[in-house]
Amino acid sequence: MKKALSLLLAALLSSMALAGCGTGGTAAPSGSEAASSPASSAAPAETGEEKQLNIFTWDGYFPQDVQDAFTAQTGIQLNFSNFETNEEMLTKLQAANAGDYDVIVVSDYMVEIMNKLGGLLKEIDKSQVPNYENLDPAYLSKFYDPENLYTVPYGPGAPLIVYDPATCPVEIKGYADLWNPALQDSLVLIDSSRVIVGITLKTMGSGFNETDLSVLEQAKAKLMELKPNVRTLSVNNLQDVILSGEASAGFMFTSQVAMALDANPDLKVVYPEEGLGFGIDCLTVAANAPHPNNAFAFLNFLLEPETAASVSSQIYYLCPNTAAQEFLPEAYQNNAAFATPSEMLAEAEFVEDVGTELAAEYEKIWTEFKQQ
Amino acid sequence: MKRRSKAWILVAPLYLVTIVLVFLPLIYIVALSFLKKDVLWGVTNEWTLGNYRQMLDPVYLKTFVDSLKLAFATTVITTLLGYPFGYFMAKLPPRWRNLCMLLVVVPFWTNALIRIYGWMILLRAKGVLNTALMALGILSQPMKILYTYSAVLIGMVYSLLPFMILPVYNSVEKMDWSLVEASRDLGATAIEAFFTVTLKLTLPGVLSGFVLVFVPSIGLFFISDLLGGGKIMLVGNLIKNQLLQARDWPFGAALSVVMMLLTLLIILLYRKITGAKDLEGFF
Repeated sequence: MKKALSLLLAALLSSMALAGCGTGGTAAPSGSEAASSPASSAAPAETGEEKQLNIFTWDGYFPQDVQDAFTAQTGIQLNFSNFETNEEMLTKLQAANAGDYDVIVVSDYMVEIMNKLGGLLKEIDKSQVPNYENLDPAYLSKFYDPENLYTVPYGPGAPLIVYDPATCPVEIKGYADLWNPALQDSLVLIDSSRVIVGITLKTMGSGFNETDLSVLEQAKAKLMELKPNVRTLSVNNLQDVILSGEASAGFMFTSQVAMALDANPDLKVVYPEEGLGFGIDCLTVAANAPHPNNAFAFLNFLLEPETAASVSSQIYYLCPNTAAQEFLPEAYQNNAAFATPSEMLAEAEFVEDVGTELAAEYEKIWTEFKQQ
Repeated sequence: MKRRSKAWILVAPLYLVTIVLVFLPLIYIVALSFLKKDVLWGVTNEWTLGNYRQMLDPVYLKTFVDSLKLAFATTVITTLLGYPFGYFMAKLPPRWRNLCMLLVVVPFWTNALIRIYGWMILLRAKGVLNTALMALGILSQPMKILYTYSAVLIGMVYSLLPFMILPVYNSVEKMDWSLVEASRDLGATAIEAFFTVTLKLTLPGVLSGFVLVFVPSIGLFFISDLLGGGKIMLVGNLIKNQLLQARDWPFGAALSVVMMLLTLLIILLYRKITGAKDLEGFF
């Protein structure tokens, strides 16, 4: 009896932990020897390090066949540790003294924070990553790494509007149309203060990174008017909400839009006329990486045209690799979610770090929005 | 029980685990809640009361009020459903009683998150419930249940119901029925006997269930995220967002501390009312 109750409570608590922080890595990095390895100029295939590489990433970001091909080619074993958020990643990397991990996936704004903190990322040795030149300049020299020293763009994406013309009563051209009263209770939006306050600012002629508190105050008032149209807010699987008929229009991440289109080709994709938001998840190397040469070999492998095409067409982000374009499968090339007009991409705006004070302000607006 | 002088060796690991895994993190959280956040990342080593003052902002006070309201509603509904359930379960013949107990507990061996996803499938517009009701001709238009307050309430009650059933069952089961017989002999009707004898004697179980339901329901943020479509902000959600989105750890810590104090208060209240030292049927 008592045991039954305690077991129940334990089950409840553990599921909360699961929901809250994720369950962490699948394989712990070995990294006891955070050695200061000399920058050797060994050939990419023969790195002179133990045949291990520790990767720190979101779950599911590296397709299995790509992993297998790399291990088959080099004999290097890939060990994965997963995180759920950039913030969690940084906390753990700091705890590991910028070591333990080799290749780390980091989002744009977090690269900037890490570089401001200093001593966390290693400069990429381009002599070991000759395929770097395959990258499309449109995805390079961004605010977080203007001289392209630390990052390889890996998963770029611009959130888009997608709607079902069968159930959506209006034609949508931009963010402003989401406020249309005809859309009452029929929107699914990304559950993120910065993104949704950001598109509200966009409709007012401002941008994603507004720092003027009086403008933010106006945005808050405008955002509150959007609430009656919101059916649900989520971060994961937004495409399901449209596909299940729960919502008729949505604003979601590139990969989700692409998946929605795969399942229902009649859906319409909108590149909002006010301009795009943009984000790039990058590959980086930890400053005290135990196997830096293996890491560079892996980056170089991922930048090979066929590999890059295989990666993009499986993880469903835009493909930042020029040389890879011809290898992209037809289904990927025909998916409207990946057909970002290049002039829109050039003007797309990143969600940059605004400092914790202002981030708290955005978060407070979001809290109020949800409560209303 | 005999005490041996070396007994502490056996207990020491327990204390060690408690100190390392419970006490130290707690101190860390309390300390963190008095620190100032850094502009870029993490915290500075300046002390402040600002994180607690921030909570007095109407936006955040409302979050607490909303959470308590939902927790209260959840508790009332689980009591109304769980009391009769526990009561009749205790009066079943032992064989059926055990089966019943099994049926209450078994679903909880599946992760709560997965069961909540199950509810999403049941409740969605083209989901099981709506399809069935429309096939039966009861509805012509699908009901919008998913992503509403009702959906959150359903999820909460569903997740926490056993915590009411089991303590009630426990106290009904060990009740001395001769007292009810005595009251009937003295002229009380069955209903009078229930309210004057049975209910009073099983009250500790109900109150214990009350605490066991009320306390977790303040913190079950994933239910309001999934079934409420992220549109309902509870203290649990607020803490999660402060830690994962706003990067405001001290404020998140301060919120956690206040929530823990709230929980403590409820348990103290329980002990004061019932005079019991521990939760009925739990410890």
